[in-house]
Amino acid sequence: MELKDKIEKHLLEVQKPSRYIGGEVGSVIKDKSKVDVRFAFCFPDTYDIGMSHLGMKILYSLTNERENYWCERCFAPSEDFEAIMRENDIPLYALESLDPIKDFDFIGFTLQYELSYANILNMLDLAGLPVFAADRGDELTNIVVAGGPCVCNPEPLADFFDIFILGEGEEVNLELMDLYWEMKQQGATKTEFLRKACHIEGIYVPRFYSFVYKEDGTIERLVVSDGAPEVVRKRIIKDFDSVYYPDNFVVPFTEIVHDRVSVEVLRGCIRGCRFCQAGFIYRPFREKHTDTICKETKCLCENTGYDEVSLASLSTSDHSEIDPMLTQLIEYTAAERINLSLPSLRVDNFSESLLEKIKKVRKSGLTFAAEGGTQRLRDVINKNVSEEEIMNTCTIAFKGGYSAVKLYFMMGLPTETDEDIVGIADLANRIIDLFYSIEDRPKGRGVQISISCATFVPKPFTPFQFEPQDTREMIEHKQKLLLDSVKTKKIKVSYHDPNVSQLEVILAKGDRRLCKAIYAAWKKGCKFDSWEEYFHFDKWVEAFEECGIDTSFYANRRFEYDEILPWDHLDYLVSKEFFIRENKTAHNAVTTPNCRLRCSGCGVNKKVGRDCFC
Amino acid sequence: MLRVRATFKKTGRAKYISHLDLNRCMLRTFRRSGLPIWYTEGFNPHPYYAFALALSLGFESECEILDFNITDDNMSMEEIRDRLNAVMPEGMGIIKVEIQVQKITAIAKAEYSFSLMTDSPEKLMEDVKKLIGSEEILIEKKTKKGIKTVDIKPDMEIISCEQTDCSVDIVMRLPAGTQTNYNPTLFVEALKNSGAQPFEAEKFVRRAILCADDTIFK
Repeated sequence: MELKDKIEKHLLEVQKPSRYIGGEVGSVIKDKSKVDVRFAFCFPDTYDIGMSHLGMKILYSLTNERENYWCERCFAPSEDFEAIMRENDIPLYALESLDPIKDFDFIGFTLQYELSYANILNMLDLAGLPVFAADRGDELTNIVVAGGPCVCNPEPLADFFDIFILGEGEEVNLELMDLYWEMKQQGATKTEFLRKACHIEGIYVPRFYSFVYKEDGTIERLVVSDGAPEVVRKRIIKDFDSVYYPDNFVVPFTEIVHDRVSVEVLRGCIRGCRFCQAGFIYRPFREKHTDTICKETKCLCENTGYDEVSLASLSTSDHSEIDPMLTQLIEYTAAERINLSLPSLRVDNFSESLLEKIKKVRKSGLTFAAEGGTQRLRDVINKNVSEEEIMNTCTIAFKGGYSAVKLYFMMGLPTETDEDIVGIADLANRIIDLFYSIEDRPKGRGVQISISCATFVPKPFTPFQFEPQDTREMIEHKQKLLLDSVKTKKIKVSYHDPNVSQLEVILAKGDRRLCKAIYAAWKKGCKFDSWEEYFHFDKWVEAFEECGIDTSFYANRRFEYDEILPWDHLDYLVSKEFFIRENKTAHNAVTTPNCRLRCSGCGVNKKVGRDCFC
Repeated sequence: MLRVRATFKKTGRAKYISHLDLNRCMLRTFRRSGLPIWYTEGFNPHPYYAFALALSLGFESECEILDFNITDDNMSMEEIRDRLNAVMPEGMGIIKVEIQVQKITAIAKAEYSFSLMTDSPEKLMEDVKKLIGSEEILIEKKTKKGIKTVDIKPDMEIISCEQTDCSVDIVMRLPAGTQTNYNPTLFVEALKNSGAQPFEAEKFVRRAILCADDTIFK
């Protein structure tokens, strides 16, 4: 029986079957007899989540522009379909051809969040591939690669992958595929290919690197073999305005998380919030011109038929042409009855005219990431937002008819005290007082403040990479303190499970010794760890214990400035000296101005060889 | 304004698009086509279109009905058809576009074909005949008000019932429309409950949407 028939035989037994059969508008079908290199772009989570990922859309279209390369999509099946696949010997397949991905030249995963790591092992296993790279043989095929933000510390996954791709993929992915096709024709082995590939900038081949550890568990030194470079530098697109952007997306039948056109307006961030990994690993700051953004918006809306478009960036309001850009965009979207949504707006440059524009396009609530409850703490984390600015913005918003405000905070930030936690409730209370002090506030309904509190996870390539995470007991104490400090029903508080954040920090800051623990956890049935109903912390704890791993070594220990970190041989352009300097400044509760105001010397401009703003 | 009725097919992979998803899919198809479709004029204007009948997930059809309005009176039916077909997903396509004749309420029944796959078609054929010949075919049907027992026998018309070397193929008509809707899976359910030979029902196809007098709905 053909695989397609096997799939179809059981498809009506599962939830949302259209996720497993392809055929969506915009999906690219090629004649496989005319294709030289096949790439399975795998997202280690379900279709609904993976299909929302912008990076996949970009690299999918980009690869498929090349006639002899075929990039297909692949997602983790939900539990019900996975059971059917395993029972009926249906290997993991790609959605365009419905061919098993074990027949593909490249099997590429995107590492978007640490809690998806177990899914990667599960998907390789479902594909019928050995999960450990060392067990996959030396034939030049099935190159298992990964890209995405978590690749900035890929060590916990090093044993499972052949290649990690650092930085932006638009150029390097094709260079890698070109080399593969060239060497494939020459009859090269996988090892021969990897030895050449590691000299492409941005390509990290973990098997050529090994670590020697000290008695206390920290790294003594890194050993490099096979002539691989000592340091691997991430790739960036220098001319961002003219970088490839898809003119079409695959339009799903079933509803996905971000079911709309996304147009990327800028990359990088000028802000330098000290907890934010994205703010550093995507540097330098680059933006697209208004005309490019409008052209891409129009083209994508017309080709996909979406009636909603969202501007993607880390901080849309930091675009230097934000006002004219929105004016021009709204002119188009209003005429075509398209909804425009603007996530990632900052409190401090939220102007009245901007609010007027947003009001035209959406009526939902306002969300502000204040992150810290007191000014002192906000200075520590370099969230350059003052209470005055928050109040000003809320005043504008309330006068403009809004009555619901959502505030994001983090708990367990460096130097945080009980005072900072109580400060969260105090800030919310002052916003309530502000609401009732405004004469022309929205009448007929009360004010609603939602406080959402995440647990701080220190991440590599941030000034806080050295910081320990609060222990569970400390977090639970702070959560209780916050709940006790909120005395009105006008404030709603929600917070995260501290166990989830603990696993995140272990995987984020871990080293190569974690590979076996991830394997053990997966063997115990861990997968979909980012889904509350599937998260089994007890199994992870067991796995770490069995592998002799002290989790507090990664989670609750301060990493020394002079310590060799598991990611020190990876170069994300921002220097370690800068992170150390910023860490010290943070502990003095001193802020660093944003990159537009003053260059703080992170080192990116020197390495890229030009000024960030010109 | 042209009030038009499109007959479309939903076959192959498209049979896995649920009715809810089909709504969204059609909205995007209209937008891609750039056709001057009429928008409602309420507080929240949206393109007006309506499906005559919902098609069960997994069923194929070449006779589905979609009503909508075109604001350009001079547009030809062929142009509407072609512009939609140019942007339709795989497995879906507009067969024809015509001016609406009857009201949706004129729909009374629909014709379905399906196959009962089995190792012993002869025995299954006997079971099928026995069920068809029985006085009543009671089945528990889920409705908005809970589960209710209905007798589908009086409203069921068997058009054909044929035996092949691996299946029993049935064509039947069942009530459809704004009043009563019976799904052929109800019959399959009843057959299973009657203790018939083991079988697997597949290849469900809606073949026609009909009025009370058995003419094709227009």
